[in-house]
Amino acid sequence: MNEEKTAVLLLRESQNKPLDPHKMEELRGLAEAAGYRIVAQISQKRGRDYRYQIGRGKIEEAVALGPGKLIFYNPLSPGQVYNIRSEFPVAVIDRFNLILEIFASRACSREAKLQVELARLSYDAPQVRNALSLKKRGEQPGFRGSGAYEQSMYHDIRGRMAKIRAELQDVQSHGEDRRKRRREQGFDLVALAGYTNAGKSTLLNALTGSQVEAKDQPFTTLSPTTRALSISGRRMLLTDTVGFIDDLPHFLIKAFRSTLSEISEADLVLLVADMSDPPDLLRRKLAASHKALWDCDVRAPIVTVLNKCDRLDEQSSADKEESIRDLAPCPVLASASSGFGMSTLQDCIMQRLEPLREYEISLPNTSQGLSELSRLYETAELLSVKYGERLIVRLRGRQETVARAGLAGGQLL
Amino acid sequence: MQGRYEMVCAAVSLRVSPVFIEKVHEVRLLPRQAGSLDLNVIADFIADACLCLPGTIVAEPGDLYNLEIWRVKSILGREFKYPETIAERTAVELAHHISVAGRRMTVSEDNGIDQDENQQ
Repeated sequence: MNEEKTAVLLLRESQNKPLDPHKMEELRGLAEAAGYRIVAQISQKRGRDYRYQIGRGKIEEAVALGPGKLIFYNPLSPGQVYNIRSEFPVAVIDRFNLILEIFASRACSREAKLQVELARLSYDAPQVRNALSLKKRGEQPGFRGSGAYEQSMYHDIRGRMAKIRAELQDVQSHGEDRRKRRREQGFDLVALAGYTNAGKSTLLNALTGSQVEAKDQPFTTLSPTTRALSISGRRMLLTDTVGFIDDLPHFLIKAFRSTLSEISEADLVLLVADMSDPPDLLRRKLAASHKALWDCDVRAPIVTVLNKCDRLDEQSSADKEESIRDLAPCPVLASASSGFGMSTLQDCIMQRLEPLREYEISLPNTSQGLSELSRLYETAELLSVKYGERLIVRLRGRQETVARAGLAGGQLL
Repeated sequence: MQGRYEMVCAAVSLRVSPVFIEKVHEVRLLPRQAGSLDLNVIADFIADACLCLPGTIVAEPGDLYNLEIWRVKSILGREFKYPETIAERTAVELAHHISVAGRRMTVSEDNGIDQDENQQ
């Protein structure tokens, strides 16, 4: 029988900052996505407590409610976890571990599982090293040693991390090959990026007519999902990616590098934001998305899509647009669930993608040349073909497609 | 250098869109020495480097001791923000590269002068 998971959420805010209600809301959303029933939400304005992160009284208040777990918004040090666990009969995690818990429960592919394990080990490694150094403090030559098994634990973790990194490198190179092949086939690569629960999967479904799983909860999508799309005869592949979130440690982004490479290597990035959020939250989420895109080293043009605009009236839409003008000067207003703004978005995608260039190539009039011509009919827009001693083909397409024709004896004129 | 801090501040005046740097108007490099470092020294240094340059000052949080924006604004007496967009981050990175190159130049120049003096 499945036991219900219950939790109390705790948030500490510094004294000189106003209390941000969105932080607690976000934590609640994450906890619910992980399957917890929230018993209570406790917040406190005070300086950091080095022993418990939050005031001892607040922890006693939370424990009195009898939850299965205490979930902190603020990051907990190993010492703080130890102090709370040794003095109170309750399990305790912070926001980062909660996110990892969600990822671990949703990871289906081998790649996603490896990425989650790498993130977990990257988090654990310094803590294990710290625990070992504490253990070895009273060590003397010949006796009171911590033992070979415990000493090797840190090295085992490092070894496993290296193994996972090598495997992920392999996955990443497969991804690079796949992207190269897709470009040769004449596809433009468009990536959907944005803060978690912004409606990226719903937008993917609305644009491509597919049935990808889309829910009103954070981190529904973990592994990239790609669907084909054709706009005015131009073929493209739209990839839905894992959502961003604020204040994530850099090693988590590093662990998910192979997934995020779908964004960094795309020809165009659609940055999706939830327009129904309050202006300050929308601004914070857009800034966090920009930071994540910067970390991913994105060089492609970015189109900001303000999704869920059907939830607002015209005046408040205009006000919000004005409040984020420096972050998104010409956003596309859309509603993936009602289909509003889809044609504008498609026009915008066509405008922002690099225009296809015209090429004239000559192919040998042999069976190999004819088979290459047949491939070009599928992968590029053929403008004219002259049959003679050689085949003179005028086409409009991607550079990669034309380069591929060179392998079959084609010459650029 | 001889118990003093050798500093270089690079101020780059540019126009940005959220993703790209659109135009670089001016680059300014200001060297300075200080016996000790605190927020006032850094703030004065940044204010001097940005003197007469129009627009909002953007700097990394670490350069200003992670102070809240309203406090930095009141110290500098000018519009100020930490980088938010990709273009602002690129601009800060550009200024950082320029200042590092400038500092290397001043330090190597000083070393060269010292060597010449020793030879004489």
